[in-house]
Amino acid sequence: MVPTISAQLDAILNDFERSVPHVQATAVVSTDGLVIASRLPKDVEEDRIGAMGAAILSISSRSGDELDRGEMTRVLIEGTNGYILIRSIGEFAILVALVEKEVRLGMLFYECKNCIEKLSEIL
Amino acid sequence: MVDLKKVVIERGLNPYHSFFASFFAGLGELGMLNQGSINIVAKRAAEYLYAYLDAKEILPDLNAVPGETKAELIKNLILYVNKILSMVGEYDLQDAGDDKVVLLIEGTTCRICPKGVGGAAVKGTLCPIPSLLESLINLIAQKDMLELITTGIEKEGSTCKAYFKVLS
Repeated sequence: MVPTISAQLDAILNDFERSVPHVQATAVVSTDGLVIASRLPKDVEEDRIGAMGAAILSISSRSGDELDRGEMTRVLIEGTNGYILIRSIGEFAILVALVEKEVRLGMLFYECKNCIEKLSEIL
Repeated sequence: MVDLKKVVIERGLNPYHSFFASFFAGLGELGMLNQGSINIVAKRAAEYLYAYLDAKEILPDLNAVPGETKAELIKNLILYVNKILSMVGEYDLQDAGDDKVVLLIEGTTCRICPKGVGGAAVKGTLCPIPSLLESLINLIAQKDMLELITTGIEKEGSTCKAYFKVLS
């Protein structure tokens, strides 16, 4: 039996979280800001993560265009308690990851790229 | 590109419609608004509107709202909300089976659409109506009566559709 798209997305997000220590939560969101799949803690409001993640990437992308920075490759927000990493998955979806401060950024970016490639094959 | 004169006249816009639709269109074009954030913001707006109706003492008495079934009651509550906010011209609420109803809006008569009225050049939808109605009607009913199933609005030709579950 072929797993559902939802199950496939969940498995890819799970692999990503397991391969990079300190990734706390992940979500795949449409560019409309609507959550497609997520692995978020119960205290995180899924709707808000979706809406804000899509808005942040959209604003960043437009800023990049306006300020002649070329195509947006990723958005990394650094806070005192950790990072928010946002990347587009093709034209219609994005990946949002909540990451602890202790993460190795090189490893995070490398595995994120692999994760995006896998997600792109499904979406 | 929206033919503004045509939209203003044919849809019977008032200045608030014009402001609302163009303001949200601008935010959408800057990338600050998407359907997900519209859904969240519309819920907040519903809470404010409920407080407004309460303050003005114009909340409907549920016992006086006609309707033999829950779907009819919801239809009449939507009629009431639309009379106050004047959001759309032509619309209908139809039974969709399995305790579901579908709201059908004739898009060419909508007065608050950030795209059709405000002219937002964005992909996807920016419709506040389904989420606003879900929250406001549940607040008026003082219980969960309606649950939005679709994530926003679905376009089918000029018709905008939103599906809701009628909760028992």
